Formats: sequence, C-alpha cells, structure tokens
Amino acid sequence: MSSPAVIDLFVWQLALAFGLVAVVVAISIHQSLNLERDLTIGSVRTVVQLYGIGFVLAAVFAAARWYWVVLILVAMIAVATQAAVSRLSKPLAGAGWIAATALSLSTAATLGYVIAVVVQVRPWWEPQYIIPIAGMILGNSMTSAALAGDRLQGDLRARADEVEARLALGFSGPDAVQPMVRAALRTAMIPTVNAMMTVGLVQLPGMMTGQILAGSSPLLAIRYQIVVVFMQAAATGLGSLLFVRLAVLRYLTPAHQLRRYLL
Amino acid sequence: MNAPIFEVQHLSVRYPPQRGRAAAAILDDVSFSLERGRALTLVGPSGSGKSTLLRCLNRLVEPTAGTVTFAGRDIRAYDPRELRCRVALVMQTPVLFEGTIGDNLRLRPAGVPGDFSEPRLRSALSEVGFEPERLGEDATTLSGGEKQRVAIARALLRDPEVLLLDEPTSALDPPNVRLVLTTISRLQEGRDLSIVAVTHQPELVRRLGGSLLYLVGGRVQAFQAADDPGARGAIDVRLRAFLAGEPVAGVEKRA
Repeated sequence: MSSPAVIDLFVWQLALAFGLVAVVVAISIHQSLNLERDLTIGSVRTVVQLYGIGFVLAAVFAAARWYWVVLILVAMIAVATQAAVSRLSKPLAGAGWIAATALSLSTAATLGYVIAVVVQVRPWWEPQYIIPIAGMILGNSMTSAALAGDRLQGDLRARADEVEARLALGFSGPDAVQPMVRAALRTAMIPTVNAMMTVGLVQLPGMMTGQILAGSSPLLAIRYQIVVVFMQAAATGLGSLLFVRLAVLRYLTPAHQLRRYLL
Repeated sequence: MNAPIFEVQHLSVRYPPQRGRAAAAILDDVSFSLERGRALTLVGPSGSGKSTLLRCLNRLVEPTAGTVTFAGRDIRAYDPRELRCRVALVMQTPVLFEGTIGDNLRLRPAGVPGDFSEPRLRSALSEVGFEPERLGEDATTLSGGEKQRVAIARALLRDPEVLLLDEPTSALDPPNVRLVLTTISRLQEGRDLSIVAVTHQPELVRRLGGSLLYLVGGRVQAFQAADDPGARGAIDVRLRAFLAGEPVAGVEKRA
C-alpha cells in the first residue's frame, strides 16, 4: 500500500506560521487585552521547547538504547508529578511521593498492557511507540490525579465534621472518608467519560489527526485512536484511584483519626 | 467512693508546624479525673482548647504528651472504634445523613454490638422527646434542635458509658435549647451515664451539676470538684463573670 509522502516543512515556512501569531497580537493590541507580551513569550517558548524535545527525541531514536528510553520516561514522570502536586490548593507534605507513586504505577500498568499485549511492539522499548504512548497516558494520569486530589482535599476540609461524626459513631477511617473518596474519583473520571461520548464527532483527536497528516490511512488511524481512548480511560481511573488512596493515608491515622491540621 | 471513669494526666496537644504556620500549642499540661456516673463541664473562652480536650477523650485527637485512662486502662489499649461507641460524642452542629430518622439511628459499621431493632429505635426516639411514629420521616428537613436530639438518640443507641457533648445547644434557638437541656437532664437521671460537656450556656452548667473545669489558653485556670463546695467561691466569681460576658482576666499572650 503506497501512501502519499508527507510534505516537508522548511524553516522559512515556520517563519510564515508566525503570521498567525501576529494576528492574535494585533487583536490583543486593538482590544487592549494586554496579552501581547505573553503571546510573544508563549510563541518563543513553543518554538524553543518543541525544538528542544525534537532534538532529544531524534537523538534517542538514533541511539536506539532501552536505557535512554527509560530515562526519558522517568523525566516525564518527574515533570508530571510536579505539575500534579502544584495543583493542590493547599500543599501537603509528602504529596510529591504520593503523586510519583500513583503516576509511575498507573503509567507502568497501562503502558505495559498496551505495548506488550495490545500493540505488541518489538522490541518493547521501540521509542517511536513507547514515548508518544507514555506521554498520552501520563498526561491523563496527571490531570486525573490532580483533579481527584484537589477535590478530595476540598471535600475533607468542607466536610471534616461529617468525617468526625462517622468516626465518632465507630466507623473506621477509610469508611468515614469513603463518600469523599467516591466524589473525588467521579470528579476525576467524568471528563474522560464525557470525552468518550463525543470523540470523533466534535473534534478529531490530535493523535489521529497527526497520523492522517503523516500519511496513515484513516482506518488505521482510528484503530490506534480507539486503543488510545481506552488506555486513557484506564490511566485516568488508575491514576486517580492510586493517588486518592495514598493521600487518604496521609489524612488519616492508624487510630482512625482525621488529621484536621493538614486540611 | 467510685473508681474514676476518666483520668487525664499532664495532657498536652501540639500541632506540628505546617508550611506557613508555626507549631501551635492547643492544650498544655491538663490533668483531671471524673468519677463514673458524674458530670464534668468544660468552660472557657473560644480557642481555649475545650473541644480538643473533649476529642482527646474519645481519641479523635491524639495527645502529644500525657495519658488518658478510661475505665482503668490507657485509651490507647482500646480499639478506637470500640472506644468511640463506649464514649459517644454529640457535636455542636449535628450531622445527619441522607435518609429517614430511622436510617440515621440505624447507621453503624458492621460489628457494632447493641440492639438496633425497631422497638428499641422507637424508645430511643421517645427518650429524646420525639413521637416514635416519626421514625420514617426525612431526617434532612428537621430543624436544628430536632437534628440535635436525633443525634443524641443515635449516640445513646450504642449504650455509651460516657456522653461527650460539644456545645450541644449553641447552634439552637431558645425553645430548642430548652428541649435539648430537658433531654440531657432526663438522661442523667435515667442512666448511669457520665457526661463531659463543653458549653457556654449557664443553664446547662447549672443543670449538669458536677465538676467544673475552667480552661484558658489551653491551661487549666481552675478546677472545682463536685464534692468540694469549699472551692466554690473562687471559681464561681470568675465563671460567672465569664459567662456574663465580662472580659476574661488572666488571659495573656503566651510566648
């Protein structure tokens, strides 16, 4: 099967793409939005960051060594951990380790299943597959862990009396916070469930669009996209579940007490 | 003479420093004891540690130092869940859960002993001044005072030896205050129940009788044992002044 070659994109063509930024800057000036500076910085960051990761990926692809791939994955998890923790409205000591554990385990489980069982990539560390797939999984785990963590913290703070009422009635710590755990997990998973309902109808997913642009047949692209949607659902569920379960252990003591001073 | 049901010795509670907040001392070297079947009232200005002290008695709060002995054993020797059924807590703002009054009364973790049968629930309701027929009524639409009385009934169904009351009347309007006070007085007469209450209500202090512990800034300012009327004068003057809303003498900023 022959597919049309991808049109190469030269640097002078990228320079033309800056015309699009110029349009937004013009809007900002005309409407006094005061966003010109941020738009300019954002455009420069887009170029620098993407070129940076492009060179790194090109080097890793060329080197084709499993340890480089693992190193990149670890770096991705570290950045995702930082981002997830920073979204908690009140800092929690130890949250970094909780997020790192939740993201590592949920990513490893989902990624392992997709790479080894579903797509059957050989060798498993083939960077062309594992890096973009890990990125998509991690992005979802990160967002869901942050959503769940923030909701859990807010709910425990607002409903601390309710938790203590249950504890005072003889319920165990985990039982006493179960309603808040459930609410946090639902909050984390609902965006993913909603996205599954409209996928392909409102907007074509980015990965599928990219594959089609790169010359894949739409029918192959959607098969990959189906796997991606399902693995994102798994990553969302696992990431938020692990994060919430571990965070609850910080807020409760083994003697079934709520550490109110942490809230 | 009765053996004490609670013996509190050199109890201190300090919270570890949090990001952007220094370590806080909530209770400082508090000691007292309470005989079985008697009452103890904790009074003092807001933030003096009364609620925290109360929560040390059913181990919702872990002391930083000192010991609490319940019925002859260190409270850490009990399973906290079992302890909290024997030492029941009624909170300032009653927490009722979705469902009927009956659902709320039946609410318990698996394995809690006791009689939660229909007749028992009905008698628990009438004990707090409700018509037993209201068992099937929606609990979330009750008034504050009614909720508080259902919460008291729910605590009593566990056949507790001690009832902890955390400002049980402060969120209520005067008619409901009277109903709850009457309920508490009746309970005291009807059972061999020990009561520890935090309150600002002179009426509740008077009705409960028993010992008084006056707490300021986490420290015991005065303790008046129930059977020591000789000490009455001194604490009474301070207490009456405090309950009457006069500025509290002896509250100084501690280093």
